[in-house]
Amino acid sequence: MMKVFAPALICVCVALSADVGADALPADAGAQDLPADAGAENLPGGQCLECHLTTEDQVGELWQDDVHARAGIACDACHGGDATQDDSDLAKQPGSGYRGVLSASEIALSCGGCHSDVEYMKTRKPLLPIDQLDKYRTSEHGKLLAKGETRVAQCASCHGAHGVREVNDAKSPVYASNVPATCGGCHGDVEYMRDFDIKTNQYDEYVQSVHGKALLEKNDVRGAPACNDCHGNHGAAPPSIDAITNICGTCHSYNAELFLGSPLAPAFKEKSLADCVACHGKHLITHVSEEWEGDKPGATCRKCHEEGEEGSDLALYFTETFGSIRQSFGEIEQLLGEAEVKGMDVTEGEDYVEAARQGLMQARTLMHAFSKPMMEEKVIEIAENQAAALKVGYAALRSLEDRRRGLAISTLLLLFLTLLVAVKIRTLPPLD
Amino acid sequence: MSTSPENPERSLLAWARDRYPIAKFAEWAKHKTVPIGPGAFWYYFGGISLFLFLIQVGTGILLMFYYKGSVDTAFESVRFISAKVPFGWLVRSAHAWSANLMIFSVFIHMFSVFFMRAYRKPRELTWLSGIVLLALLLGFGFSGYLLPWNELAFFATKVGTDIIGVIPVIGDPIMYVLRGGEEVSGSTLPRFFALHVALFPALLTTFIVGHLFFIQLQGIHEPDAWTAHPEQRKTMPFFPHFFMRELLLWLITLNVLGVLAVFFPAELGIEADPFSSAPAGIKPEWYFLSTFEFLKYMPAHVGPLEGEEFGLALISIGFLGWCLVPWIDRGRNPLITRIVMVAGAAILVFLTIMTYLGHTA
Repeated sequence: MMKVFAPALICVCVALSADVGADALPADAGAQDLPADAGAENLPGGQCLECHLTTEDQVGELWQDDVHARAGIACDACHGGDATQDDSDLAKQPGSGYRGVLSASEIALSCGGCHSDVEYMKTRKPLLPIDQLDKYRTSEHGKLLAKGETRVAQCASCHGAHGVREVNDAKSPVYASNVPATCGGCHGDVEYMRDFDIKTNQYDEYVQSVHGKALLEKNDVRGAPACNDCHGNHGAAPPSIDAITNICGTCHSYNAELFLGSPLAPAFKEKSLADCVACHGKHLITHVSEEWEGDKPGATCRKCHEEGEEGSDLALYFTETFGSIRQSFGEIEQLLGEAEVKGMDVTEGEDYVEAARQGLMQARTLMHAFSKPMMEEKVIEIAENQAAALKVGYAALRSLEDRRRGLAISTLLLLFLTLLVAVKIRTLPPLD
Repeated sequence: MSTSPENPERSLLAWARDRYPIAKFAEWAKHKTVPIGPGAFWYYFGGISLFLFLIQVGTGILLMFYYKGSVDTAFESVRFISAKVPFGWLVRSAHAWSANLMIFSVFIHMFSVFFMRAYRKPRELTWLSGIVLLALLLGFGFSGYLLPWNELAFFATKVGTDIIGVIPVIGDPIMYVLRGGEEVSGSTLPRFFALHVALFPALLTTFIVGHLFFIQLQGIHEPDAWTAHPEQRKTMPFFPHFFMRELLLWLITLNVLGVLAVFFPAELGIEADPFSSAPAGIKPEWYFLSTFEFLKYMPAHVGPLEGEEFGLALISIGFLGWCLVPWIDRGRNPLITRIVMVAGAAILVFLTIMTYLGHTA
């Protein structure tokens, strides 16, 4: 659900600094008077568009694909001015309400003028949320803008100014798989971020993470999280330590539930450790490897637990258990592979292997309970499936031997019959 | 002959003799002969084909005990037959291998008849009924291949029915009827099943009976040279001489079938998914490979025709010519005979090369 709504919220990003209220909007910025049925072929813009189609600022070109243009919203809704005048001086003359290029604060004001207007949005996009502005005010971007920092992101920074597209449009900068690059455009720019005292390697780390690979390489736009799924979009801010489990738990709900019920949850809280992040990291979240487990120096558990401690022993149990399970998988695959190469049907064994693999996946999740009895129960289930797979494999090889033995016997029998017939042929009366 | 109760067999025979013309049949069988010539060995392939057909019928009936011909159950039922049913793997493998061996044997039989010029008068209908039998067997193979509902069969059927769809005018309706819709789908399987276990067996049995009837009526073709040199004529009694030799070959065939079934059991692969993309290297069964490969070499267009249409037109003309061979070569003109024989050899070489190329492609 978050994946669906988050980019939708970004769609009409509104930045409004504390000193600029929505009620300060110019009267003509309201959208109630705009035509609602302007067609795509007849884009609104009047004389503004006529001129800007010939200028080098690409405004006219971008306007062709803009969702607002296609909804019949004209230039003067944001910029003011008189779009009926073919002379630019007359179009921008005092009294025409011309506001020119909007400042960061004005952009937020202008977008928010419509997108936070409940009555207006009901007539345009009834399903679109109208809380972008409120959320933006709580974001780091919004807070800094309120303090006068104009380099922070506002609506146009993410959505663009004159080429705003629907969030589910793959060309939109806020389309799920484009979000990391959009955020990274600023947050990965060392020079740009110099004055903000925050790291700039988030994007580089993200693209190497399991989430980044799922989103950017496998194009899993529905399942894999982008920046906004954890940080929020219009209310973008670094998550607090207390919120980490809830944020990760949005998708990894069972892991979060197990962790919060585990003895580690209160211990983490006591030490002010960020639950999931303490072990898995933030942006560079990778698959769990064997190096993670165990009680060797460098292993994850050894960050807090010394050798010989209860926690370290549990880590060792996990390591040995998972290692044993993995080794068994190797033996099973070799056995089933051998039987299959020899033409035996081992699909039943493969079903057991699949069930065991599912069990292993569940066991990995169960680790978050940090409970040996819970894990033992699951391990027994995995072992039973692995044993059943082995049984199928050995039975297949035995059956193969039986088949060959049967073939040898039947061959002998057929050979005997063939000889009998051959002898009979020789005893037949000679041909003329 | 005694009909006493102490000898039940004899009494049963006597009972039958009293009612049926068994003596006449025995007399006929006693005098039935088979010519012995340089090509006599090839005569046995007709009988081998018949033997393999009987195995097909037997194993097919056994498979039907467990097979469930619907999309949701077909694959699992075949898997069940292979994995769980006692000797199910053997029955399925024997069915699959005997089908292939039977088509191979029929091809040998047909070409041996061709090169011995046994198609000539008065055996024109024997030749035609033989061609119909081959066509029916190919239909058997094509329809049976889909029944396990695995991925390879699914896409091979798609390719095969696509080719049928290329035939002008009638191709599309035939393809539609075969598929039960625009595409190979769940509707196709029951149709192929019905063809495989009802229509084709009925037609095949009818034509086999007709084919054998013609052979019994006219006798087995004798070498042409005997007409000019009757002193060379040499025959053997069908019973028991020829029959015992045939039986010997049947036993060997059965053993070969057993070896193939044990060492190369029929594979099942993965279940068909109509919504997945076709895996690379999809090919039809070997007996369709030559046609499949030949069509691949066709250019995009030949005159007003699509390349595949042109290819199918060539194949159709060739097939028609093959059917009409008894009327083309009546044995009156040695030049025509020579041309027909060379054409037959060329067709054999062509089919072999195309099959090889298709196999290695």
